[in-house]
Amino acid sequence: MSKLKNSRIRKKPLGHEIWKARYLYLLLIPFLIWLIVFCYGPMYGILMAFKDYNARLGILGSEWVGLKHFQRIFITPAATRAIINTFVISVSRLILEFPAPIILAILITEMPGKKTKKIYQTVFTFPHFLSWIVVAAILSNFLSNNGAINVLLESFGMEKMNFLGNKSLFRPLLYITSNWKEMGWSAIIYMAAIAGIDPTLYEAANIDGASRLRQIWHVMLPGIKTTIAVMFILAVGGVMNAGFDQIFNMRNPVVKDVAQILDTYVYDITFAATPNYGFSTAVELFKSVINLILLVAANSIVGKLSGEKMFH
Amino acid sequence: MSKKIKKRRKWRSTEIISVIVLTLLAVLILVPFWNAVVISFESSAEYARHPFSWFPREFTLDNYEFLIGRGNVLLSAYKSTVGITVIGTLVGMTVSVMAAYVFSRSFPGKKLFFRLMLLTMFFGGGVVPTYMLIKNMGLLDSYAAVILLSLASAYNIIIMKNGFESIPVDLQDAAMIDGATDIKIFTRVMLPLQKPLIATFSLFTAVGYWNSWYWPLLIFNSGKRTVLQLYLRSVIGNATGAATSRAMSTAALSSNMFAEGIQMASVFAVMLPIMLVYPFLQKYFVKGILIGAVKM
Repeated sequence: MSKLKNSRIRKKPLGHEIWKARYLYLLLIPFLIWLIVFCYGPMYGILMAFKDYNARLGILGSEWVGLKHFQRIFITPAATRAIINTFVISVSRLILEFPAPIILAILITEMPGKKTKKIYQTVFTFPHFLSWIVVAAILSNFLSNNGAINVLLESFGMEKMNFLGNKSLFRPLLYITSNWKEMGWSAIIYMAAIAGIDPTLYEAANIDGASRLRQIWHVMLPGIKTTIAVMFILAVGGVMNAGFDQIFNMRNPVVKDVAQILDTYVYDITFAATPNYGFSTAVELFKSVINLILLVAANSIVGKLSGEKMFH
Repeated sequence: MSKKIKKRRKWRSTEIISVIVLTLLAVLILVPFWNAVVISFESSAEYARHPFSWFPREFTLDNYEFLIGRGNVLLSAYKSTVGITVIGTLVGMTVSVMAAYVFSRSFPGKKLFFRLMLLTMFFGGGVVPTYMLIKNMGLLDSYAAVILLSLASAYNIIIMKNGFESIPVDLQDAAMIDGATDIKIFTRVMLPLQKPLIATFSLFTAVGYWNSWYWPLLIFNSGKRTVLQLYLRSVIGNATGAATSRAMSTAALSSNMFAEGIQMASVFAVMLPIMLVYPFLQKYFVKGILIGAVKM
């Protein structure tokens, strides 16, 4: 922080320092109130996970049931299936979606011409700014029975396919469409990292006779190692999320078995049937605790392997 | 040297690969959009004969006329979405920018407040407790709840804080010696210097509100209120795109409009404002993200 401010601090008593900063507190208060009410307020509701919630008795007055709801998660087939689906989809995303923006960033960097680069980037990034409702509408039309893809298939003499109502195609479609929407946006952070690499490193490699591909492998990739590590840690910390917005807007009853993840499951049991708030809260808490554990674990494992850490 | 430049440069193999791959990719991204726009201007008869064409074979505005016609909720959904976006962005940015500035200074308790904020990036109460909170506050079925629930984000505040920290302290110190209060320093010195960053995050926040649908879906339970995204969701019906929307049943059959045409016209109507602000967004977001990435 600023040197001058530090020099003013610690000379006078605390009360004086607080009085001096009174206008700063004034500026901060609206945010603090919001933070406490809308971010920490719901945390109080987490108590419901350990209670049999009864609307008449309120959260505090409801009866404690210990870990009953958590035990129920593992004996409810629909819940365990949602957990498995969440893991399978997330791990597949790590394999199929995590590397895509890195490759895209390298390809854009290799592209000749500043202007063309910009135009392409504009195209790749645009879908990120649309909601999954809009994107699902566009893509499901594109993939529908009368859609462009099926017209194309037909013109080649092939049979039409029901892309969205097909259990074995649903998950691959998730990965493809998610890349379609987000890879351009995610590539930006890697492009920024690539731009920060010292150009003399390439020149040195060039003089040594390294081909461009070798330069990418030996200079560019190591140069963005830290960024990749941080993004990977964050991705692992979100494994239990599996992409609610996308799945919620692309799913249909036919693919329910393969599409149901924890978040959609919580939605279904809370808002579409007779709700058991205690159980729903327990599922959500279970989910965020696993996420937190994975985040910390990924942070220390990546730290040990490569020396790159996000938090210390 | 000049001779070498005149001669056409030999293309590197990586350049050729990148141009081919990226061009294919760009086409893959653009065609679905173009296809949607074409369908929205097509007549139902031509669509039935040629579901895919590069240009409307029989240009018509009937699908759009239906959207703005009587009995359709598009216009009211537009109004409420614009309201939520404008108020949410104004209030949210005011709260966030003030907090970001304060966090760029040092004062007793800063560490505690900052940690309180950081924690929310990795842990939250979850959907059900948040829903219960809104219910208990009597905010169900209100626009206020939609605005309040996504008013500020720790991530945006941290990046804006970094922006304020990048301004040389001498400027603030000089103003302090002149007897300016912290509020004056904030409004007269710091804010004008951070206009680009604030503009960027205002646009981000606005896009966020424009695209919000999850809380409206949970909160608007009377059927009286809606937002554009939810309107679109109801028009699309379900993900297979096969179902005809409820809106369609009220439509006259003699017209040129048709389910897919109305759906794609709705998509275009919801997407249009984003397309209009996108060039301004794009100008800044690389920079904004860059600052955040360095300091993360």
